[in-house]
Amino acid sequence: MVRVALVIFVVLMVQQTVIVALRIGGAHPDLLWLLPITAAVLDGPETGAIVGFWAGLSFDLVLPTPFGLSALVGCVLGYAVGSLTTAADPRATWVRPVAAVAGSIAADMLFAVLGAILGQGEMVQVDFLALFLVVGVSSLVFVFPISRLMRWALAGEGHRRSLVSAQGDSRAW
Amino acid sequence: MPRSRRSRRTLTVIILVVLSLSLISLDQNARTHSLTSGVKSVANDVYAPLRQGVLDVISPIGNFFAGAVNYGSVQAQNERLERTIGELRAAQLEQGFEKNQLREITALQNLPFLQALPTVTAQTQDQYSSNFTATITLDKGRADGVDVGYPVVGAGGLVGQVIQSFHHTAVVRLITDGQSKVDVTFGSQLLGIVDGQGPSSSMTADLVAPHTPLKKGEPMFTSSLDAASFPPGIPVATVRTFHTSAGASQETIDVDPAADLSQLAYVDVVQWVPST
Repeated sequence: MVRVALVIFVVLMVQQTVIVALRIGGAHPDLLWLLPITAAVLDGPETGAIVGFWAGLSFDLVLPTPFGLSALVGCVLGYAVGSLTTAADPRATWVRPVAAVAGSIAADMLFAVLGAILGQGEMVQVDFLALFLVVGVSSLVFVFPISRLMRWALAGEGHRRSLVSAQGDSRAW
Repeated sequence: MPRSRRSRRTLTVIILVVLSLSLISLDQNARTHSLTSGVKSVANDVYAPLRQGVLDVISPIGNFFAGAVNYGSVQAQNERLERTIGELRAAQLEQGFEKNQLREITALQNLPFLQALPTVTAQTQDQYSSNFTATITLDKGRADGVDVGYPVVGAGGLVGQVIQSFHHTAVVRLITDGQSKVDVTFGSQLLGIVDGQGPSSSMTADLVAPHTPLKKGEPMFTSSLDAASFPPGIPVATVRTFHTSAGASQETIDVDPAADLSQLAYVDVVQWVPST
């Protein structure tokens, strides 16, 4: 758990110091969702949900949005991506990029809708086209380094079932 | 997949979802909000110095490259700024007499005068930390005299209002945020409300009667209504476009923020609370 916590902390710091400054069309990349996505692809839905919950909760501590909302979306996202990629052969090379783009966009949509339901109506007033473009393209770019970090983190937890140990380090993610 | 494993997986996810929903409920409930707010406050006190440490390391590198790439435009901008400073100095000298008169009149009417109110100057640590809200984070908090509800001014006008205050940091909702509403006055004592429309959208002025005479660039100021959330007289926005559609119950007015929200390195937090 220490390695996973360390990866979440590093990604949080990178997101809040470097990534938030990369604003294009009023939106910036969102690395948060890539944590549960990569964990789910590497180790299944349960790990995806757990990593998503803790990553979301960490981000909730520093974001002005409702507390617990990122944790909820991260948990659901991790579970959904894990379930879908298991069915679609997680070893296929296209899985990670597709999961990253589709998952990040779906997570942002869910986040905005749930936020609006919780009384933050402005969350559905953003320019979704720009947001999806920025988040989609950036997820495609950042999924590979974050996947490497997550592989390292999960390998330290002794997961045996997943791609992490089954494939060793031979796959160049 | 073994049935027990699938059951355990489902149970884990259900527990996490219930836990998340419980946290959201605690945060949304007015009585228990202080609990989540307290947790966030402690987390921010730990997180803010760490974040600042990372920024202190990486900022010089970023500034070096930004300076090298944008050298020409920075030089031109400096020249423009020097010219503007000269103009402002001249205008300031001319306005000294008028300001004194205004201060005397507002004092007579028991209205707070912005320049007589105490302020706390703060540095912006973070802008738009979420894609869904228009907020900035300041490096001053409760320990420095910054509290929830205080107006924030800078860069030529009203910037926003403090919505969260931690020990040494505070979160400010910008006037462009979708939840921001500011009572304004303009022209000959006309009233309206300037509504934020989200971080990437323009603002609108609402509740203005159809065919109200306006001018492009006309300034709007915080109003002096008793229930207003801001002290009167702060520039809020300027009129960009306006028209009245046939049969409309109000004039459609798009406005631009008076403050340059792209230049928020330093802002002033006005230590002012609405009179109840």
